[in-house]
Amino acid sequence: MGSDCIKDSVTLCHSCDLVVTKRALPSGVRALCPRCNTVLYDTPYCSINGMLALCITALICFTPANFFPILELHFLGSVRTTTIIEGALAVYDEGYWLVGIAVIITAIIAPGILIISILSQILIIKYRLHSPFFRRQLKRLLGYQHFVSQLTMLEIYLISILVTVFNLSDFADIFLGLGTFCFILLFIATLFLQREYNVEHMWSFLDE
Amino acid sequence: MNNLTQTTQGKEIGLTSCHTCYMLNKQEQSHCSRCDNALSVRHHHSLQQSWALLITAAILLIPANIYPITMLIDRGNIRHDTIFSGIAHLVHTGMFPIAIILFTASILVPLLKIVGLTVYLTAISFRLPISKKKLMLGFHIIEWIGRWSMLDLFVISITVALVNMGQLLDAKPAPAATAFALVILLTQLAAKVLDTRLLWDRLESKDDTH
Repeated sequence: MGSDCIKDSVTLCHSCDLVVTKRALPSGVRALCPRCNTVLYDTPYCSINGMLALCITALICFTPANFFPILELHFLGSVRTTTIIEGALAVYDEGYWLVGIAVIITAIIAPGILIISILSQILIIKYRLHSPFFRRQLKRLLGYQHFVSQLTMLEIYLISILVTVFNLSDFADIFLGLGTFCFILLFIATLFLQREYNVEHMWSFLDE
Repeated sequence: MNNLTQTTQGKEIGLTSCHTCYMLNKQEQSHCSRCDNALSVRHHHSLQQSWALLITAAILLIPANIYPITMLIDRGNIRHDTIFSGIAHLVHTGMFPIAIILFTASILVPLLKIVGLTVYLTAISFRLPISKKKLMLGFHIIEWIGRWSMLDLFVISITVALVNMGQLLDAKPAPAATAFALVILLTQLAAKVLDTRLLWDRLESKDDTH
């Protein structure tokens, strides 16, 4: 088969199936498909230790971001606070379970799974755990990676908090809570983590 | 290598790219040799799935915009707000930047997504002579902005939890919230299940260049 010898020198575009000859790239440069501009590949620059540090930072911020109040409302002398979970449960209790579940998944569960999943992948790769059990787990985690990162919507939640502040400032006094601060830290750590992370490089560790 | 041209596709040289880990595999293989996931050269039924999801989403967009999405009790007065009237209210109170953010996230993005995906799927299904490059650019934009519609649902959930003081001041979600959530879910799925390689197989090669 002729396909065997060109398998190493070409790549296929994920979006349009174009055959593209692979070339070495300087670091920080991405190769785009010449036909449809989809990202094809880039040079590895992920340092496993840097990603591990970001992962641990995100993990530390995760609990306070979700369990401390994100907003405080002062209205006619009474004070009300809310956390992300309480917001989702409030909608759920009103009978809008679909909305409640969507909020819980995209703002709490998916970011949590994303961080823990990347952490386990890093640990497996960093400590060269080559037993079949760990290889199988790594394959499974990498397989779900794209789905989980699609569901992670921290940046949208952050903008939502700001929109709500302006929305409600009409009726009452609104103050940001400690949770918002932790949430911003969580967002920044996750943002950089997702920027450093490249699922194709993670797959290539399985080839070794 | 010498027989490769600017438009050679993977399926012509017997290779296919794994959809999970992007590894190149021979077409005869049924499963990827690296990640063990099922391989297929093209997902032909993805077009039908995508159409079905898109049409459902388009139908649900109507109740999402007609019915109220929130209910507000302010000192005994009950006010129902649809997506549009909520934004109009923000414009009246002079909060233009917030109104623009909400307008983009809850009206413009869902509408653009449904119109854009309809054009995209029609172009594949009926082989319309539209530039493939422009279609693909539109598709990348749709994939990227689609998530931002969740903004409105997050705002509702925070507001409902925060504003809860009986007859004085109380906010509750209303029926359009579920319809709107379904629109987001279905349009995201419609874009996700579609195998974009079908576009490049089906349209005439003369549309390649522009």
